[in-house]
Amino acid sequence: MTLQILPRGKWVGARVKRVEDPRFLTGEARYLADIQIPGTVHAAFVRSPYGHARIRRIETSAAEALPGVIAVYTAEDVAALPPLASGLPIEGLKPTPQSVLAKDKVRFVGEAVAVVVAENRYIAEDAAELVEVEYEPLPAVTHAERAMAADAPILHEDLGTNVVYQKVTTLGDVEGAFAQADRVFRRRFHTNRFVASPMETRGCLSVYERASGQLTFYSSTQMPHMLRLFLSLFLGIPEHKVRVISPEVGGGFGQKMTIYPEEVVIAYLGKVLGRPVKWVEDRWENLAAATHAKEQIIELEAAVRADGKVLGMKARLIGDGGAYSFNTASALIEPLAAAGIVPGVYDIAAYQHEVIAVCTNKAPVGAFRAVGWTAAQTARELFFDEIARELGLDPAEFRRRNLISEFPHTTVTGMVYDSGSYRESLERALQLVGYDELRRRQAELRQQGRYLGIGISLYVEPTAWGSEIALQAGFPFPSHDNATVTIDPTGKVRVAVSVHSHGQGHETTLAQVAAEILGVSIDDVIVEHGDTERAPWGMGTYASRSAVIGGGMVALAAQEVREKVLRVASRLLEVAPEDLEIQDGTVFVRGAPDRSLSMFQVAFAAYLDGRVRAEGEEPLLSATKFYDPRATYSNGCIVTVCEVDGETGLVRLDKIVAVEDCGTMLNPMIVEGQVMGAIAQGIGGALYEAMVYDENGQLLTDSFVTYALPTATEVPELVIDHLETPSPVTIGGIKGIGEGGLLASPASVAGAVLDAIWPAGRAIEELPLTPERVLGALQKQGGA
Amino acid sequence: MQRVPITLTVNGRSISAEVEARMTLADFLREQLGLTGTKLGCEHGVCGSCTVLWDGAAVRSCLVLAAQADGANLTTIEGLATGEAMHPVQQAFWEHHGLQCGFCTPGMVLTAVALLEENPAPSEEEIREALSGNLCRCTGYQNIVRAVRAAAEQMQAGRGS
Repeated sequence: MTLQILPRGKWVGARVKRVEDPRFLTGEARYLADIQIPGTVHAAFVRSPYGHARIRRIETSAAEALPGVIAVYTAEDVAALPPLASGLPIEGLKPTPQSVLAKDKVRFVGEAVAVVVAENRYIAEDAAELVEVEYEPLPAVTHAERAMAADAPILHEDLGTNVVYQKVTTLGDVEGAFAQADRVFRRRFHTNRFVASPMETRGCLSVYERASGQLTFYSSTQMPHMLRLFLSLFLGIPEHKVRVISPEVGGGFGQKMTIYPEEVVIAYLGKVLGRPVKWVEDRWENLAAATHAKEQIIELEAAVRADGKVLGMKARLIGDGGAYSFNTASALIEPLAAAGIVPGVYDIAAYQHEVIAVCTNKAPVGAFRAVGWTAAQTARELFFDEIARELGLDPAEFRRRNLISEFPHTTVTGMVYDSGSYRESLERALQLVGYDELRRRQAELRQQGRYLGIGISLYVEPTAWGSEIALQAGFPFPSHDNATVTIDPTGKVRVAVSVHSHGQGHETTLAQVAAEILGVSIDDVIVEHGDTERAPWGMGTYASRSAVIGGGMVALAAQEVREKVLRVASRLLEVAPEDLEIQDGTVFVRGAPDRSLSMFQVAFAAYLDGRVRAEGEEPLLSATKFYDPRATYSNGCIVTVCEVDGETGLVRLDKIVAVEDCGTMLNPMIVEGQVMGAIAQGIGGALYEAMVYDENGQLLTDSFVTYALPTATEVPELVIDHLETPSPVTIGGIKGIGEGGLLASPASVAGAVLDAIWPAGRAIEELPLTPERVLGALQKQGGA
Repeated sequence: MQRVPITLTVNGRSISAEVEARMTLADFLREQLGLTGTKLGCEHGVCGSCTVLWDGAAVRSCLVLAAQADGANLTTIEGLATGEAMHPVQQAFWEHHGLQCGFCTPGMVLTAVALLEENPAPSEEEIREALSGNLCRCTGYQNIVRAVRAAAEQMQAGRGS
């Protein structure tokens, strides 16, 4: 039986305050770095200062001689460990295996070359400085297009090229569309490389028990079971003897959903040294060596009819993958994901895309909230703004003329949009921001030499990352999760889930789902996650999947347990199960509430009174259910209002309005939190954040001084509003919403800036929109 | 390595210890006293996760050596609640969903406590300015600002009664 509709009663849909908060507020929450195990030794990595160099010699004796140092390991010492490589089954994708410690060559600043283990971190870091590595610097390449040139330095010599993937795909009658067009427009954007930058850096702790051969591995990861699987394979430890514990995790945003070389090394060291080994990276390491994201060069062409209808599009998407292509589905993660979403909410019948993934001497690229989609959305929305203006149409009106309005809608790229409120979200956002009045004000201010701008970003977000949506998005990899719901003998409820919470509030939202179905208070439910011995198997948390998959699987398991409860109660009360109801932890006969039992009484009997059990029934009130949802797509519209200072190029954000539609909301407070946080990250991406390398591959933005995150003074008033179009294909109608804010806000913010300074911004190709770039464009315009 | 004797008060308890001269205050609190509520996010004084109160003022414990804290009176996040009762700022963060992953939260809460001590009725702008030395990557700050404003009102009402 499939539960199609999750009841909305006391818990589902309510603004329930988070049950997990007190331990964070009082300092009791334990993150990776806070776990102290007696006998622990500490690791520090020696990392490459060069973007591209041959390793001539490594001298470890001075480091080894330092009192307190236990061991120094280089590539030779970890030769037993296989290299990391992408296992993505995509034809034509060239492998770029990465040795867990650099062997022969380094390919980016920050690549781990050796590791020192010492009695404490201070000594480990001292010793790391004593490891002498003799390098022969090689010419570096840090620009994706230059890396494609015939004479470019090659990162992976055996490939003979830096291009690890290149493919043209033609969908629909592209030639016909361009032949029929009244106008053809072209635009190129180079989206900036920015990073997840969770406040907690990466880290892990390896505890190996020799007698039993059991590895307990603590890691700040988003996907404990996947990490267990990979560690088992890499280290050759049977999977049932590997336990992964992901404790409190201080933000992930995709950066912690890859298997890192450091994790494999530390796990291995714990095994060979026979002492717990801990590594907590510092911020420099995080900025230099954890995955980067979002950098692409995107060239767009549009075939447009005089009335503004877009007949067809072409896109060339070059993903700058950095030095190795394996993290979260290879260097394709950016350009291939982007290619699929270029049509977005618009009805585009013909589309050709060329997807190119290139290696450069920069940190490897991986997932970061709305991976691939942020760059595509930014390029397309900014492009559409310009087409609208060229055609003399208001950008909002241009969008109206191209919107998808009927559902389900299969896009030219094969995504099946199940439902949505594209037009409504646009109109609502425009109304909330006071669009028409703003346009009038903009014209007035322009007369006075002031630059007010309005940016519209209308988006669709692929969510519920299960097998079907993975396929639709171009990454054919099965994806599903499990929940176990158990009522213990005293009537209390345990929900164990494979999705991991690192800020998303699952301990609250998933408890709401279980409480709703089981008819108990949320206080009587606990949600467990993050430990492979306590949670059932599953993929973890990423890609806006946990509300849909987590909510669905908990609903299914809770429903089965509810049926068990009703069967037991029906025998105790001598009525049919259909005549029973459960409310506030009490099971009672419908219409005769005095004929009732507490959940305690029912559960106690289920476990300990054999008479209530029919032949073949089990005493446990427990069920484990998996869920691999159909693809579902949320949507929304973000409108930004800004003013640009014509003297300095500085952007002041006045207001951001975000209307989102993620179907049934489990907890609107948490939805709003997700949207607001993602928008702030997008503000950073549009205006401030960029990972900058010089021509030699030197990283110039390697601290929070040079890599600037938005603070409370950079984020303006955020107005969040909800539409609710339940998904017809998922349990309860839930859609995800974790990424929409970052998918769409950079386009909205950058769109507002370019709108403010139109037409000066036409010359701007690169993001972020720093004061230098904005002022440069204005001055160029003034001079021209 | 030179060791330095220090005596200080942490969360109302007098503590005497010997520390390595180069040990940071943050590491001392975390490693030697086991007060791991103080977080390290950048170790170069930008993110504010390691904020503690030093005689009531917000201080970045990653930029101070433990040896310098001789004689100091410190409050860490563990010392803010009174028994089971959370401080009004903690309570307001809970009510207004002012935290997600929780990592920046101890520093944010203590920074807000220091602000309200100095300025019991701050404007929105003053709150944002005061918090601008603390990074949060999850919330977008709006709910944190709301929480601080609510806490200010709550504390003022408390004083008034």
